[in-house]
Amino acid sequence: MKRLITFTSATMLALAGGLLAQGNAKLQKDPVDLKKAALQIDHHIASFYRNKKLPVPAVTDDATFLRRAFLVAIGRIPTAEEALAFLEIEDSSKREALVDYLVKSKGFSSHMSNWVFDLLRITDGRTGTTATNEPYRHWVRTAVAGDMPWNEFTTRLLASAGDGWDPASAAVGYYTRDRGMPLDNLANTMRVFLGTRMECAQCHDDPFGTTERHDFYQLAAFTHGQEMTNREMMKPLWDELTEDREKRGREYEIAQVLWDRIYGMSITGGGDGSIPLPSDYQYRDGTPGAVVGARTPFGQAVRMSEKRVHTDGREQLADWVVGKTGEQFPSVIANRMWKRVMGKGIYEPVDEYIPSSKTHHPALVSYITQLMVDLNYDLRKFQEVLLLTKTFQFATNPNPSSVEGGDDFHGRKIERLASEQIWDSLITLAAGDPDQKPTRTLDDRIYLGNQPVSAGSKSMTQLSKEVLALGSDAEIRSYFKKLVSDLDAGGANRGGSPSMMMSEVRTYQRDAKVRASELPSPAPRDHFLYLFGASDREVVDAASRDPNVGQVLSLMNGFVQRELVKNSSAHLYKSLEGASSGNEKIRRLYVAILNRPPSDEEMGWMLDEVKTQGDAGFQNIVSALVMSSEFLFLQ
Amino acid sequence: MNPFHSSDELTRRQFASNAARAYLGVHLFPMLGGTLASAAPAASVQGGKAKNVIYLFMNGGMSHLDTFDPKPKRKDVMGKTEAITTKADGIMLGHYLPETAKITDHLCVVNSMNSTQGAHEQGAYTLHTSYDMRGTIKHPSLGSWVLRLGGRIHPELPGFVAIDSPPDHTGGGFLGAKYAAAPIGSPEQGLQDSQRPSEVTPENFERRLSLADRLNRQFHGRYPNADVKAYEELYREAISLMNSKDLNAFDLKQESPATRALYGPGRFAQGCLLARRLVDHGVRFVEVQLGGWDTHYDNFAAVAGRCQEFDQAYAALITDLAKSGRLDETLVVLATEFGRTPEIQTEHSDGRDHHPGAFSCVLAGGGIKGGIRHGSTDATGAKVKEGIVTVQDFNATIAYALGLPYDTVLMSPTRRPFKLADKGLPLTGLFA
Repeated sequence: MKRLITFTSATMLALAGGLLAQGNAKLQKDPVDLKKAALQIDHHIASFYRNKKLPVPAVTDDATFLRRAFLVAIGRIPTAEEALAFLEIEDSSKREALVDYLVKSKGFSSHMSNWVFDLLRITDGRTGTTATNEPYRHWVRTAVAGDMPWNEFTTRLLASAGDGWDPASAAVGYYTRDRGMPLDNLANTMRVFLGTRMECAQCHDDPFGTTERHDFYQLAAFTHGQEMTNREMMKPLWDELTEDREKRGREYEIAQVLWDRIYGMSITGGGDGSIPLPSDYQYRDGTPGAVVGARTPFGQAVRMSEKRVHTDGREQLADWVVGKTGEQFPSVIANRMWKRVMGKGIYEPVDEYIPSSKTHHPALVSYITQLMVDLNYDLRKFQEVLLLTKTFQFATNPNPSSVEGGDDFHGRKIERLASEQIWDSLITLAAGDPDQKPTRTLDDRIYLGNQPVSAGSKSMTQLSKEVLALGSDAEIRSYFKKLVSDLDAGGANRGGSPSMMMSEVRTYQRDAKVRASELPSPAPRDHFLYLFGASDREVVDAASRDPNVGQVLSLMNGFVQRELVKNSSAHLYKSLEGASSGNEKIRRLYVAILNRPPSDEEMGWMLDEVKTQGDAGFQNIVSALVMSSEFLFLQ
Repeated sequence: MNPFHSSDELTRRQFASNAARAYLGVHLFPMLGGTLASAAPAASVQGGKAKNVIYLFMNGGMSHLDTFDPKPKRKDVMGKTEAITTKADGIMLGHYLPETAKITDHLCVVNSMNSTQGAHEQGAYTLHTSYDMRGTIKHPSLGSWVLRLGGRIHPELPGFVAIDSPPDHTGGGFLGAKYAAAPIGSPEQGLQDSQRPSEVTPENFERRLSLADRLNRQFHGRYPNADVKAYEELYREAISLMNSKDLNAFDLKQESPATRALYGPGRFAQGCLLARRLVDHGVRFVEVQLGGWDTHYDNFAAVAGRCQEFDQAYAALITDLAKSGRLDETLVVLATEFGRTPEIQTEHSDGRDHHPGAFSCVLAGGGIKGGIRHGSTDATGAKVKEGIVTVQDFNATIAYALGLPYDTVLMSPTRRPFKLADKGLPLTGLFA
């Protein structure tokens, strides 16, 4: 293969290093041989083709594989350097090396975070209260970056209790995020982790299913009892300040920090194990107001008596979800990961579990379910296996799916990129590898209004710990008085300089050229991300890939023009340095934007463009390449 | 028969040069413009006299008890909310709506709404599409149906605009992207990026489109996929929009300070004003959303806050339309996915939970009788007592107000039959 550009880079070394490291130490440490597992999956797919007497799809070319693997694994296109490093190496195992490079990349957890944020509806703030999801968001982001196994992740969320700011218990945001709507929260739990839809049963027996309203309340009994820690002790002070809000505005604002952002983000107790039936309960098997004990609706039965108060209801629920529902828990997450990597779940919709024996591909579903367990629910490793399969490498199938509701394995279906993938790719072109930039950190500063303030050197985490330990109205009042005077003293440093802060806090504004995972959540309604369909994270998985005219305007005249086409310092144009001929420059633009060299025909068009328009011609080429469907769609 | 069919026949090659030339002012789209303008099939149904719809969606589930269906005799149900009398005898409102109280003579309050969906996603979906959510198909939203059955009014401006509304409520479903709403993220900024950047010459602009078109033709040749094609169509749409002399329909700065102040400063308020401007310029259907109605927690403070955003804006919109004489041809719909429970949850600081069994929506203008109520609920607002209206009936009524054949059957690409209002029937008695 003719070298496109002569260059050396760390990227290339990393890729080459990956090649050398293949097949030794790393694989032995894994509980399962990942390559063998990938082969097993391919065997299942192959036998499906044999049985159906179907031709096996071709394997895609290197350039398509490169772009697909980057977008699927880490959510952005490769930089020009990364693209060349891959395209120029001639080595039969370079696809494996690329997968290895990608799963180890920092971008992997950024891309996974978008997925989890959509699934769990993680926003920065909450409506109707000044309480925030900041520590919860940070907990989730850290768990994802650290590869917390999915069963542990689930357990930590579902069994959570305590201080919302303490890193050890910040997962409690899972419940406090939905304060006031515990039943919706529970319905989402069942949908997200077990693929069981129970929304209807909140209000009535499901006419089409088997779930009755009574079942739903028995399940809700596990999580019932989500009171805030000690907040009633602050009530007298709070009422006083609310009454006198006009005159004591600043004190009220400070009290709000305690009321909303400390007490309001805490939960005491671990779940009662019992719950009263609602006042509009309409069936013969219970009366409104009657207290029912906890009972699970399927799987290995877990019960808790309504006769006494328990303190571990949520823990018992968590144990049941991850450990006592048979294949259901691992199957749902395995199928969700399959969809993430392959484009479609083996069964769809992915939040409606189907027992493997009843799916179109029983052996395959059983196999990946068991694989999830054998890999100890390590989602990174699990995705690595899928990325290593030949199935992942199948060429794109232009025809619509022939089987409704699930992956038909006839090659990858063409699909528009998710909003975050488009954004992360555009900033890669505009500002270079975004994974070199530091990620957002926990913002644990004390805020009054939108202003960070300082009270000595206290963080919210410390403040929260101290406040939740206060045991009486008197203690709270004296603590509050001291806090007000500390804040008054620290007032001169309102906002402070970064060096004043107890730890370096790094946040990004809405227009920062960083990964979507680090930006404010949800994206503002007039942001590029929202325009292209990012979820507003009110409901589970609400992202959209639907086209609209605003997107097209933005590609022609807006963000792309401003940040990329006319921005001479855009990273994209750096790749042109040292290129002497128009030919060479066009090649490099193609590699940077579409990650492939131009065809001869395309080269002809583009050379014409440059010949007629000179430098403006290059801008026209960049604009056209980004506007092209090839840029917006995953092949 | 697709009324846009003749535009489909423009080849992509023609598109590139035509589109750009149209932008340059050499308007080569006479027949396309004509097709779009006359896309409306002759209305065969009788009905209201509305031409346009402004659809205000209260996202999250607006409490009927604290707004349009108060129960003054039941303190236990009302909590901190008082009922106030209004301009129309027989219509009472929660005290958070003093401005709306002054214009109830224009309103038809439907107190007997009933939905079977008690979760937000499903509830809002059914309200917007007349169908329950399914894993296998995406149904078109109401605005898309209206555009499909009624056609555009203005040939270049979008027929359906969504202000501050999520795409899953305003998508074209199986009708495709050309019936989806053009989204406006911020009313103040209007339609973003609708001007050719000043640094790009018309010639270079044309060349870009032409290059992109050649690339896309190749790509589409390889992957004849509906979504890929949708983007090509949208380029054509976008160019025609950029070229429109009426682009300032999206510009709130064209309104006088007095008018802007009439609506109030909030985002929703300015969204209502923008909706009125768009309707004035011939946009068929505009949806504006106001979120935050999910008042499980501290219902009374939350409803007060929402109504502060809503009350002045809504009253101003009705007043403004009435004054200019446009209310007759503009149907203003106020809708929400469900109501809230009569029970007040003290353990959630006096919150109210979801209540799809009975709730209220409001119609005004477009030939609807004003100053009336339709249907009623029982003493606590828990159940519909008389005149039950399903979500489908409500949507059929909207179509009827527009004189659209609400029972037209359209086939999805998978050959399944669908109607704008499914099995709903219009409330013809509401029309003057």
